[in-house]
Amino acid sequence: MSEVIQKDTMLSYINGEIQSNANSVAIRAINVRGKDALENTPFPTRKDEDWRFIDLNAIKKNRFTSVSYANAAEVGDISKHYLPEALNTRLVFVNGIYNEELSSISDLPNHVIVGNMSEYGDHDAVKEHLGTITNYDDDAFAPFNDAAFEDAAFIYLPEETSVEAPIHILNLFTDAEKAFYATPRLLFVGEMYSKATIIEEHIGLANNVYLNVPVTEFRLFAGAHVHHARIQRDSKQAAHVSRPIAMIDRNAEYHSYTICLGAKLFRNDPRVIQNAEEVDFTVDGLVLIDGDQIADTHSIMDHRYAHGNSHQLHKVVVNDNAHSIFNGKIFVAKDAQKIDSFQENRNLLLSDDGKVNTKPQLEIFADDVRCSHGATIGHLNDEEVFYLHSRGLTEQKSRELLVYAFALESVESMEVESVEKLLLDEVIKYTTRD
Amino acid sequence: MLEIKNLHAVVEGEDIEILKGVNLKVNAGEIHAIMGPNGSGKSTLSKVVSGHPEYEVTEGEILFNGEDITELDADERAHLGLFLAFQYPVEVPGITNRTLLREAYNTIARANDREELDPLEFEDYIESKLDVIDMKDEFLNRSINTGFSGGEKKKNEIFQMAVLNPVLSFLDETDSGLDIDALKVVSDGVNKIANDENAIVMITHYQRLLNYIKPDFVHVMMDGKIIKSGDISLAEELEANGYDKMEKELALNGEAQ
Ligand SMILES: Nc1ncnc2c1ncn2[C@@H]1O[C@H](COP(=O)(O)OP(=O)(O)OP(=O)(O)O)[C@@H](O)[C@H]1O
Ligand SMILES: [Mg+2]
Repeated sequence: MSEVIQKDTMLSYINGEIQSNANSVAIRAINVRGKDALENTPFPTRKDEDWRFIDLNAIKKNRFTSVSYANAAEVGDISKHYLPEALNTRLVFVNGIYNEELSSISDLPNHVIVGNMSEYGDHDAVKEHLGTITNYDDDAFAPFNDAAFEDAAFIYLPEETSVEAPIHILNLFTDAEKAFYATPRLLFVGEMYSKATIIEEHIGLANNVYLNVPVTEFRLFAGAHVHHARIQRDSKQAAHVSRPIAMIDRNAEYHSYTICLGAKLFRNDPRVIQNAEEVDFTVDGLVLIDGDQIADTHSIMDHRYAHGNSHQLHKVVVNDNAHSIFNGKIFVAKDAQKIDSFQENRNLLLSDDGKVNTKPQLEIFADDVRCSHGATIGHLNDEEVFYLHSRGLTEQKSRELLVYAFALESVESMEVESVEKLLLDEVIKYTTRD
Repeated sequence: MLEIKNLHAVVEGEDIEILKGVNLKVNAGEIHAIMGPNGSGKSTLSKVVSGHPEYEVTEGEILFNGEDITELDADERAHLGLFLAFQYPVEVPGITNRTLLREAYNTIARANDREELDPLEFEDYIESKLDVIDMKDEFLNRSINTGFSGGEKKKNEIFQMAVLNPVLSFLDETDSGLDIDALKVVSDGVNKIANDENAIVMITHYQRLLNYIKPDFVHVMMDGKIIKSGDISLAEELEANGYDKMEKELALNGEAQ
């Protein structure tokens, strides 16, 4: 008698073979690595510490197909999503596939590369760095991206080069007959004292089911300064599981801001790894969810050397039955003295049925550090509401203004004016819905 | 203008009665002062009049220009011209004074079929009000009361009063927390705002304020009721003898229950 035990892996929720036709040897190597890992990595369950609170049904009840078999709709006119500041520094990917026509790259400083990685497969930076810092142990999702991606955004900044215009990585997802998966990938390599602002967007153009599994890798060498905004506006039926990771060297600064507005299920595991002394980094987040949305952030701020500043402000607004989860890990290695790390998770609950789980997690092995953390969960303050109300504003308007004020701080860090405007509009849309 | 008749109020959802039959009549052009010991219900009275949802009126009525307003929401009362300068103004981080005042001003204008002001017009208007209270215009850009000193918060309340130009204002201990210079500035401001068409009810513990803003009537509140009314000499009497003596005298005369 023989019994075939079907292992529950990522592949259990995928239709058909995962195929990548990448030409680049470097990309193909990662594809192969991903496939191997995928088959051997169980899909997470509630028994796994890092997956205890999250309901993964939005993934598990589907079988996602490659976009080539999904009968995906045309992308249409998307010019309203262009950023005026980034008209000539834009890469567009539609359902994970590079779209040259909609992309526009010109006027970059000498030797700066912003393009589709499959055209730069032999570039030293790709060969050297692609897939090297992405190391999510026992993770089913990063290997899935590894296995499936063909096209990818590749950004390369030579030494002492600064790109003035923000670089806009626009990931669009179209309507489709079948639920499909997409694996957007981004590799950023900033040589010593380079400088750039990256706006990474994910936009669902329709209200369909898809699975978006992006991996972004940021390798910053000494003195590089990067501002990385990630704006997630996926379809409210979509599942989005992100692995953004950064490794930064001496005097480097990496400031990241993740804004979560869309997706039915959002799981984000940002990591920043300090790779030398004297760094400065930010891992901020703003989550605005309602309906039955789930947003889960599991972040790691990994301090491995002395003298680092890090900062995390994770703000969450929950309405209806939505559910937010936050687990913020701060690691400080044994010899990483003089680390100054600050973490704050503030949750605003607008409904009785919304849910918040929050857990700061400090693992500190050095003795001379300053690490602080705090988490708050609260409703709008009645006295604040009354104050505005008594000045003539309706109660509804008073509440809207207060939610807006709560979210504002996170939006103001955007640095790119049109992005700030776009987010303010999103915040207003969120606060004023009926 | 305002007529409060036998007003009883409890804390919403609880059995604690705080106002136990307040009677008060305020006409246009008048300035009233309410004095009374801690916990006598002065702030509660002002909050009940302005529509705070924490309290429930169980008996009596509040007539404003003949209309019973006890069922109106706080914003509707503000639209009629009621204003409360809070004893403890809350900090509201993230919303600037300017944003609040523009929103409030235009909402009130709309409700009264008056012309709204566009941002530029409003800017001119609000600038013109800064002088009333000797306020620096950087305050406009700051979040409401956030990080303000105690005195600045109180000044900010009167500034808002100047901008919104209410018909009837309750000023709840606006004088406490002010140093003598600020007290003069604030009193000056209030006197500039006061005219024949509006009315002001000041709540205070100190006769000093009344030297700067002269009340037409002084009321003494104790245990949820106004137990005595008179002119400024009542404040002087209180200052000299304290509340206890007055209470005892009234009890002897059978005026208080
Ligand atoms: N929400 C509430 N719940 C319970 N008790 C309350 C509430 N609000 C007011 N009270 C009580 O009602 C009484 C009157 O309070 P109020 O604040 O009106 O007094 P006050 O006259 O303004 O005092 P002070 O001079 O100290 O400002 C106090 O005993 C107070 O504790
Ligand atoms: Mg009081």
